[in-house]
Amino acid sequence: MACVYIPVQNSEEEVRVALDQLPRDASDILDILKAEQAPLDLWLIIAREYFKQGKVEQFRQILEEGSSPEIDEYYADVRYERIAILNALGVYYTYLGKIETKQREKEEHFILATQYYNKASRIDMHEPSTWVGKGQLLLAKGEVEQASSAFKIVLEADRDNVPALLGQACVEFNRGRYSDSLEFYKRALQVHPSCPGAIRLGIGLCRYKLGQLGKARQAFQRALQLDPENVEALVALAVMDLQANEAAGIRKGMEKMQRAFEIYPYCAMALNYLANHFFFTGQHFLVEQLTETALAVTNHGPTKSHSYYNLARSYHSKGDYEKAGLYYMASVKEINKPHEFIFPYYGLGQVQLKLGDFRSALTNFEKVLEIYPDNCETLKALGHIYVQLGQIEKAQELLRKAAKIDPRDAQAFIDLGELLISSDTGAALDAFKTARTLLKKAGEEVPIEVLNNIGVIHFEKGEFESAHQSFKDALGDGIWLTLLDSKTKTNVIDASASMLQFKDMQLFHRFENDGNHVELPWNKVTVLFNLARLLEQIHDTVAASVLYRLILFKHQDYVDAYLRLAAIAKARNNLQLSIELVNEALKVNGKYPNALSMLGDLELKNDDWVKAKETFRAASDATDGKDSYATLSLGNWNYFAALRNEKRAPKLEATHLEKAKELYTRVIVQHTSNLYAANGAGVVLAEKGQFDVSKDLFTQVQEAASGSVFVQMPDVWINLAHVYFAQGNFALAMKMYQNCLRKFYYNTDAQILLYLARTHYEAEQWQDCKKSLLRAIHLAPSNYTLRFDAGVAMQKFSASTLQKTRRTADEVRSTVAELENAVRVFSHLSAASNLHLHGFDEKKINTHVEYCKHLLDAAKIHREAAEREEQQNRQRQEAARQAALAEEARRKAEEQKKYLLEKRKLEDEQKRLRQQEEHFQRVKEQWRSSTPASKRRERSENDDDEVGHSEKRRRKGGKRRKKDKSSRSHYETEYAEADMMDYREEPEDEDASMNYREPIGQMNDQDDDVEENANDRLAAAGLEDSDVDDEMAPSITAARRRRALSESDDDEPFERQLRDNTDELQDSDGELRENDHKSNGGAALDDD
Amino acid sequence: MKFAGLKSVENAHEESVWAVTWVPATETRPALLLTGSLDETVKLWRPDDMQLERTNTGHCLGVVSVAAHPSGIIAASASLDSFVRVFDVDTNASIATLEASPSEVWQMQFDPKGTTLAVAGGGSASVKLWDTATWNLIATLSIPRPEGLKPTDKSSSKKFVLSVAWSPDGRRIACGSMDGTISVFDVTRAKFLHHLEGHFMPVRSLVYSPVDPRVLFSASDDTHVHMYDAEGKSLVTAMSGHASWVLSVDASPDGAAITTGSSDRTVKLWDLNMRAAMQSMTNHTDQVWGVSFRPLGGRVVSVSDDKSISLYEYS
Repeated sequence: MACVYIPVQNSEEEVRVALDQLPRDASDILDILKAEQAPLDLWLIIAREYFKQGKVEQFRQILEEGSSPEIDEYYADVRYERIAILNALGVYYTYLGKIETKQREKEEHFILATQYYNKASRIDMHEPSTWVGKGQLLLAKGEVEQASSAFKIVLEADRDNVPALLGQACVEFNRGRYSDSLEFYKRALQVHPSCPGAIRLGIGLCRYKLGQLGKARQAFQRALQLDPENVEALVALAVMDLQANEAAGIRKGMEKMQRAFEIYPYCAMALNYLANHFFFTGQHFLVEQLTETALAVTNHGPTKSHSYYNLARSYHSKGDYEKAGLYYMASVKEINKPHEFIFPYYGLGQVQLKLGDFRSALTNFEKVLEIYPDNCETLKALGHIYVQLGQIEKAQELLRKAAKIDPRDAQAFIDLGELLISSDTGAALDAFKTARTLLKKAGEEVPIEVLNNIGVIHFEKGEFESAHQSFKDALGDGIWLTLLDSKTKTNVIDASASMLQFKDMQLFHRFENDGNHVELPWNKVTVLFNLARLLEQIHDTVAASVLYRLILFKHQDYVDAYLRLAAIAKARNNLQLSIELVNEALKVNGKYPNALSMLGDLELKNDDWVKAKETFRAASDATDGKDSYATLSLGNWNYFAALRNEKRAPKLEATHLEKAKELYTRVIVQHTSNLYAANGAGVVLAEKGQFDVSKDLFTQVQEAASGSVFVQMPDVWINLAHVYFAQGNFALAMKMYQNCLRKFYYNTDAQILLYLARTHYEAEQWQDCKKSLLRAIHLAPSNYTLRFDAGVAMQKFSASTLQKTRRTADEVRSTVAELENAVRVFSHLSAASNLHLHGFDEKKINTHVEYCKHLLDAAKIHREAAEREEQQNRQRQEAARQAALAEEARRKAEEQKKYLLEKRKLEDEQKRLRQQEEHFQRVKEQWRSSTPASKRRERSENDDDEVGHSEKRRRKGGKRRKKDKSSRSHYETEYAEADMMDYREEPEDEDASMNYREPIGQMNDQDDDVEENANDRLAAAGLEDSDVDDEMAPSITAARRRRALSESDDDEPFERQLRDNTDELQDSDGELRENDHKSNGGAALDDD
Repeated sequence: MKFAGLKSVENAHEESVWAVTWVPATETRPALLLTGSLDETVKLWRPDDMQLERTNTGHCLGVVSVAAHPSGIIAASASLDSFVRVFDVDTNASIATLEASPSEVWQMQFDPKGTTLAVAGGGSASVKLWDTATWNLIATLSIPRPEGLKPTDKSSSKKFVLSVAWSPDGRRIACGSMDGTISVFDVTRAKFLHHLEGHFMPVRSLVYSPVDPRVLFSASDDTHVHMYDAEGKSLVTAMSGHASWVLSVDASPDGAAITTGSSDRTVKLWDLNMRAAMQSMTNHTDQVWGVSFRPLGGRVVSVSDDKSISLYEYS
């Protein structure tokens, strides 16, 4: 047993003090020490022994007594021991300060420690141990640099001073210079090979930090050998085991942690690691307990941060976001720089995102991203936040990056796709497809939403096959397959009930009765609807109708299915059924604007103007005027109302037009890119005669409308053509009409053919005009107006041929044939009008018949004349030819006879010959003049004549020019009248017919050379009859212009245009609906 | 069951070709093709090499329909000017010119025995029957006016008759009109029987199944082809697939298939067992106004607004 011997003063005796039997009360020993004036080293030994036994109080008592002023005085020359005592106290208080968690007391301890060291320094300022103590104190206080200088002072004096070496090693470690630190530790070990395990621990930590894990492990193990209860070494080894990241390692690590915990339950590091472990095993109660203890025992920022993080995570996983947020926040607060420990930022970001605090979440995730710029999860999270904040481009960029970094992350591609769907469908499609491939490869089920979205995008791009496949994939197996197949089975419906075929649900009832289960999962309804929509688009209407009905059979409230069925019925002209279906839809939702708008359309189609207007109003009100379709419909309504009035009350017309314009403008303000509104505005402008502006508008709309399968705007083509027509650019107008017909109507629209015919008429291309009309009749056989128009065209053609100054017999013959046709057409109409098949006035037709017959008579005479002339020409030519031949023969004979004999007469002879040849030429020319080859030239001469005449007339006075125009307008009036179903008898029209009759009657009386005069006479006739309608003249320009448009704008055509407009809008509504579905799909994903 | 393109004649006419029919073979020659066009001509073709046999003129305005007598000896052509010209196929000698003013002329068909020519009478809302021996008008089958309608009511014009078809037993005539209704008549009693409903747009072509006198096919502007039980007044099935008006329909002699021509420029082959389109020919570039099976089978012809005639093998 170790003991110390306190020498008794002034004797040889000693007091033996057994160190393991030190008295409980240190005063006893102190008394002895003082009484015997024992050497100070004994004081120190005894104090140290007390400390070793954990009797800190006694330790302190002895040392404090040993450093008291009396001692100083008494032992003034015993310097080293005094210093040792002071230093021991310094170390003691340093330690106290180090472990103290409360800041104030910590400071106090450090102050005390500093005081002791200062005192020691005063005794001997070169004492190395004091400096070492000071260094350690500074280290404890975190003043690394000052600590380093303290240690350096010591090492300069003695480079093998072990404590200083250790201190310096610690300094270097804290500075992060691990290899330097390692060097100091190594030196310390060399100097003092039997040093305690702590040095080995230091070496181990340095090696660990330097990444020399094997050597680090050895060092820790050695430290543990030296001191099996060295918690730090144990924890260090455990951490290394855990980081090995394999089941066995983790188990071993956890065992070591546990041992460390058992040895010393207050090691924060061990506590944190244990908590971490229990977090993963889901024992949240333990996590909380451990971390709370850890927090209580440590003051070390990073460790605390870890503890808070563990706690926050625990709450986070339990769904207590408020608390989790608080602890994450606490954790973040303990961190100086985010790169030290980034996880809590991520957790905080997640919680804030969950709680809807996007801005804060954004900053936190961005911090994470700074440190891990390639972290996909963070990129995606940020992407989502940017979407929420509406910064789509930024979100796209991030998601694209995420998808690029991890090209196997299906979710990233899905997110990206959903983001892109509204801006770049092509890229969105690619993203969705990649996601689909990835999921398929991984053997996971592809979400219905993704397949649906792929289908919809293909659909929009017009890739119907792919869309079909995708929808089918999304739907998978189900009743619909059987239904689509069962089309082959016979479903006999009574023909009289077949009108209701689109409402028929018997199919499904029968199906159920057959023992089949009709089932339609809710999440497939949208896909089914889209598939049906697609089938409609590829014209498989029957199948589409079955699917819509299936949806309704299971989900009676699916309004859009009703509306699509109604649209199908409407397309098939089954208005009654269509209205019924829309009403079904309105039963579900009486304010559904789409249904109301559709009802309005149907009512318009039924010619129920007042009702339609009310319905459109209701549709508009149902959406607070925000539904552009309803507003547009009202605009259209006003526009038609402006033009439908046969009496053309100018005031009313202006009001309606103004109102229409206002409504169109309102839509444009709300939706700047609404093509239909722009088109409407263009029409109103054109109506007011501002052709250039409206042309620009139409052209822009036309350009914008190309490119999507859902936007089909034939109207704008027609309108553009109308404008070209009105501006006299007939060639372009024709091209536009033809393209429109072909592009949008499969050449089936008789109305556009009528526009085309009218353009040909204006361009005086009579045959093309007639052909167009015949085609139109073929398409719309019951439209007798077209027949009337064809009659007029033929009449006009004949009249114009007869008015020509020169024409061939062939021309006249065809004119006669044409007139006969015209007569036949008009007679037919006249006869048919007896049956009240159409609204023509019999009198008017008879006028035409008579006129044509008249013309025919005239033409027949002309034909005879022309034929006679032709005959004469032929005879003359024949005679001339024979004369020439005879001459030739005679000449040749004479030549032969007289060539040698009468050389002198040769010159005369040749002269004569020349004359004869000239004659022959003249005759030939004459002959040629009556053949078609010269026709054109002569006609242009004729035109010149006409110009001359009109100039002459102009010279005569302005009034005449007006009249000239008015006579021309008769044709137009007549023609335009023909286009109107209800013909009104107007005197000037008959005059117009008379107009022809008179000059031609006169022509009848004239001889062949009458042509030149005919023009004059025609002019005269025009002059005469223009007196009758002189008042008409001023309005003609306006009237003509209006008619140019009115061809399309009058009642019937315009109703058609409205229909078109609305059909198209219906389609676009369909598209909108699909978009809704898409976003629904997106929402579903979000929830996931 | 499929079509294989054999031969096409581009610019067979100067204008749109609107009508086509097969002229059955006689003892002296094989079957011929007869086409009618907007260019006012009717042309006769040898279908093996599609060589033009003859061009008949004499019509004014466009030729809207052609019909061949079952004997193959005579044929009829009709134009927009409402004249029907009956002529000898081999000599082009005119046999008769039929006119029933003010009734227009649209689709025509000879009855299976060849004793009567039925002509769709347009705005007269009737089918005119002509005796092929005397060329006298023997009957007018009128569609009864719907009750409660005043004679002046505009809607009466909607019963404008466009198409006509004889049942294979010659006892029934069906006619289709502008408003989509199909009317069925008892020929022997010259009596209207009933309407077949389901279409609401013009029915431009009708044909009975050659094997079942009850089954009637209709082609309508509503893009659908309907299959009716014409006796039971019931709609057996509706077939969709055309993108635009269905202008013409014909049934195969074996009764297993029908073919349709449409404004969507396609000719489709429909399998009646599957009730689905088997094939879609896209060689025409404009509306296909006429399709026709050769009575002996094996061949189908189509004519179009693109001025061409196409011949297919049906197998």
